[in-house]
Amino acid sequence: MLTVDNLKFSYPKHSADVDDKGTNTAEMQFNLDVQAGEILSIIGPSGSGKTTLLNLIAGFNSPSSGSIIVDDVDITSLKIHQRPVTTVFQDNNLFPHLDVFTNVAIGIQPSLKLTQDEKQHIHHALENVGLADFHKRRPKELSGGQRQRIALARALVRKQSVLLLDEPLAALGPAMKDEIIDLLKAMVEEQNMAALLISHQPTDAFRASKRTAFINQGKIHQIGNTADVLGDSADKVIKQYLGES
Amino acid sequence: MRFFYSFICFTLLSISIPVISAESADKPTLNVYTYDSFTSDWGPGPKVKKAFEEVCNCTLNYVALEDGVSLLSRLKLEGRHTKADIVLGLDTNLIANAEATGYFAPHEMALENSTLPEKWTNSHFIPYDFGYFAFVYDKDKLKNPPTSLKALIENPDSPKILIQDPRTSTPGLGLLLWVKKVYGDKAEEAWEKLAPRIVTVSKGWSEAYGLFLKDQAPLVLSYTTSPAYHMIAEKKNNFAAAKFSEGHYQQIEVAGMIAASKNKELAKKFLDFIQGETFQKIIPTTNWMYPAALDKTELPEAFNTLIDPEPALIFSSDEVNKNRKAWVSEWLNALAK
Amino acid sequence: MKAGILVALFVIAFITVPLFSLFFASGTLSGEQTASFSEIWNSSYIRRVLFFSLWQAFLSTLLSIAFAIVVARAFARYPSFPFRSFFLSLFGLPLIVPAVVAVIGIITVYGKSGWLPIGSNLYGLLGILLAHVFFNLPLAVRLFLPVWNQIPEQHWRIASQLKFNSIQQWKHIEWPALRESLPSVALLVFMLCLTSFAVVLTLGGGPKSTTLEVAIYQSLRFDFDPAQAVVLALLQLGLSILVAIIASRFNKIPDVEPDLNIKNPKHQSETGKLDKMLQITLIVFAILFVSSPLLAIFIDAARGPIISVLSERNLWKATAFSLLIGLSAATISLALSWFLLNASARASYQNKSNLSQWLLLSGSIIFVVPPLVIGTGLFILLADFINVFDWAILIVILINGLLGIPFIIRTLGPEIRQNTMKYQRLCDSLNLKGWQRFKHLDFPLLRKPLGLSAALVTVFTMGDLGIIALFGSPETATLPLLLYQRLGAYQIPQAAVTAAFLLIISLITFWLLEKIISGKTQKDM
Repeated sequence: MLTVDNLKFSYPKHSADVDDKGTNTAEMQFNLDVQAGEILSIIGPSGSGKTTLLNLIAGFNSPSSGSIIVDDVDITSLKIHQRPVTTVFQDNNLFPHLDVFTNVAIGIQPSLKLTQDEKQHIHHALENVGLADFHKRRPKELSGGQRQRIALARALVRKQSVLLLDEPLAALGPAMKDEIIDLLKAMVEEQNMAALLISHQPTDAFRASKRTAFINQGKIHQIGNTADVLGDSADKVIKQYLGES
Repeated sequence: MRFFYSFICFTLLSISIPVISAESADKPTLNVYTYDSFTSDWGPGPKVKKAFEEVCNCTLNYVALEDGVSLLSRLKLEGRHTKADIVLGLDTNLIANAEATGYFAPHEMALENSTLPEKWTNSHFIPYDFGYFAFVYDKDKLKNPPTSLKALIENPDSPKILIQDPRTSTPGLGLLLWVKKVYGDKAEEAWEKLAPRIVTVSKGWSEAYGLFLKDQAPLVLSYTTSPAYHMIAEKKNNFAAAKFSEGHYQQIEVAGMIAASKNKELAKKFLDFIQGETFQKIIPTTNWMYPAALDKTELPEAFNTLIDPEPALIFSSDEVNKNRKAWVSEWLNALAK
Repeated sequence: MKAGILVALFVIAFITVPLFSLFFASGTLSGEQTASFSEIWNSSYIRRVLFFSLWQAFLSTLLSIAFAIVVARAFARYPSFPFRSFFLSLFGLPLIVPAVVAVIGIITVYGKSGWLPIGSNLYGLLGILLAHVFFNLPLAVRLFLPVWNQIPEQHWRIASQLKFNSIQQWKHIEWPALRESLPSVALLVFMLCLTSFAVVLTLGGGPKSTTLEVAIYQSLRFDFDPAQAVVLALLQLGLSILVAIIASRFNKIPDVEPDLNIKNPKHQSETGKLDKMLQITLIVFAILFVSSPLLAIFIDAARGPIISVLSERNLWKATAFSLLIGLSAATISLALSWFLLNASARASYQNKSNLSQWLLLSGSIIFVVPPLVIGTGLFILLADFINVFDWAILIVILINGLLGIPFIIRTLGPEIRQNTMKYQRLCDSLNLKGWQRFKHLDFPLLRKPLGLSAALVTVFTMGDLGIIALFGSPETATLPLLLYQRLGAYQIPQAAVTAAFLLIISLITFWLLEKIISGKTQKDM
């Protein structure tokens, strides 16, 4: 359903505009497919281009060539808000001055003028992530895991085909992680979305995804069954990475 | 700690230089505190300095302040430690107050040549010129000047004016007293009525007159004698003083000698000089006032064309001294509204 | 450490003794003509002055802050604006442009015969507000700009995915971030406007537009009414302390040298063309507003009587006085701060954190006490013993030196503390102290902040028209005082030449001092 076809990108040399993980300046090139209802895990060393891949799909960066196709539509040149894409980041997903309900609502309608139906829908989403009673709270009154679940609830109500998850689990403890991954899986299946999940921990990838892509130096180094990619791999690069992490 | 002491010595040294270097002179110096229009290039200051230094074997040093009232304030601020030998530029309205400070010495002079309208009796101050306050205008630009103080104040359409601050300037104080003389207890309301037409309240006479010449307002508070300047120095006849039917407030400008002066002999000599013909002849065409000890026939022709200020209005010096504070606050209140 | 404590005691004494003399005077002062204190308190003049002080400070703050937010936002959203960093450093200029110079610039631009005459009369509230906005708008813009850096990148990305329009971006992203630093910046601006002296003296000062500070000056220099001066000074002191107490509740003190680069520029400008045009217009207007008075001075000066002004003896005498006062004040300020900061760092090194804090605090009290209030206290205290005008230069140097201390504490303090933490043990073991330590360790490492501090305090003192107005006289005129006299005499062309001259002298002094003292700083030893 999501196809990334020969997507090329390079950061301008000596630019201050380098992404915060210190990505190298060599040219990147990506090819991959994600099915509806599938979570593809993305793993790789810092600066390998994981976030750049997501930025390209979301439109935060523009590729030099190649295409992104969602549901048979080429979205490569669409504006950010026109793409059927929604993103959950590691942190700062919520606006601190808005309560939980409004933080979700703003995903449907930035002007916050909601129909009764839409309101019903938001309550339903909050129930789905198990936080129905928290709708009046502010983000700072919630735990890290709860905040991420609210962010997922917002992604849910947006009803987009593609869900991008940029290390949403990085700041969470192990028990919390598993809980969120399970929630995520149920969500993606129910809504039939194509999801890309960046994570640092191979265990997360094992729990979340049938398939995993390993990215190294701006290229997809290996893609396939999670067990094949991250299991007893003979590949030097992957071995080194697994040894480090 | 030694480092600290050396630093202290250094800083003390660096700040003491200006204080020490201020002192040095061979000839005796006579310090005269006066207002700035007196010492300006076109004022009497330079000529007086030249003439006096020719006869005194001394240096005449002016300290110029904004205007007459500032002179008195400055003297009070400096107190017993003042460096002034002579204060020149106070007027009749201030002399009771100045005398009460105790800083001035009696002049012990006879003043036989006085040509003042009244007999001079004050024991501490010597008059050097006199005049009458008036609003001056340009005849080409203002066709119908007000004909009385009441017309100026009460007609909301009367022209805008430039005046001086009574807290710093003797003309400013003069106008305050003039209004008081005409309005009495109703002076505060009168000022409130006038307030919207006051363009600026300047600190001294020269600022206000400068603004008037730059067309910032059609009327300026000055003297009945001011048009003489334009006639004689500029050969222009289009300036005139507006004659007010209530009469014009009179000012006698005086000089006094500081009791604590270290150059008393010299100071006395200067007071004598003020009364003398040389000084008196300089006054009419530099300070543009009537000299206090010079026969009318000696005045330049232009002085005969000036308006007649009669009746002359004046408060006694004691009365001004008693009420100045209250009247000035009244003025402040009226203008602050 | 003993030296530092001595300095602290000196600083405290220098501030409190004049204050005590004010309180004391309020009990004893009464001469011929001076009204009783209760009469002064109750006079409607004082009430009006108090009201005007607060009113003009409130309006100035409101205008400065409102425009600053709009302009800072425009700058944040268009980081690619040509010469952006140049214009932002231009916005740092009002910090060192003397107030009188700015006033002359404002008169040349907005005055009756200026480029853009506005209103019927510049002298009064209108002029005061213009000048205060001129000074505080750029300051507030620089203080607000870093707020945009604190906004998480993710918020912008979410905003672009959700298609926020400009207003929604403002409402949900920018305003919530700005709201935190708003009170502290607003209070700083309010305090600056409340204690602003030179601007009100030159552009207001009539009975209608007099603030407490100017009224203090007038009651000493115009009326010689010490009792009224004392009442006004005590009122002003009370107000300043009140504002300081309120400000201390918001502990975020804005930085002097904020980071003005925008880190996340990418997604902020993704709004319509109309919005972009609006932001650009705002930036252009702000730049014109800030630069036009300075440009006007130079243009007017170039057409003005340059030769006749430059050939006046007064000008050169005033220049010498200004330089002398500036350099001496900086020397004293640096020396006092040096001992204070070293003692404080040493105390903190020895775990006496109370002493350390107390030492720093002693250097900062002057920030709360308006210099004119100290000046008034000194005046009342000393007038009986000396001719204060003879000692004007010394008093001006000392008070301005003290005024520099809080600033130096902020620029130099952290670095001295760091040096002590790093090297104190080494110095102790090598017995490196006093001058030797300064020469070999502290100076080479601290040249940069030392140079900046010296340059800023010198230039600030050179251009200050505050204490010098109170104690100065034609014999001891500095350049700002000379300017004030020219302005008082409405000699605008001469004033413009003098102002340009003062500005150039200030910039050269600043540049030279920084160059000489800062030199090449070694990164580490």
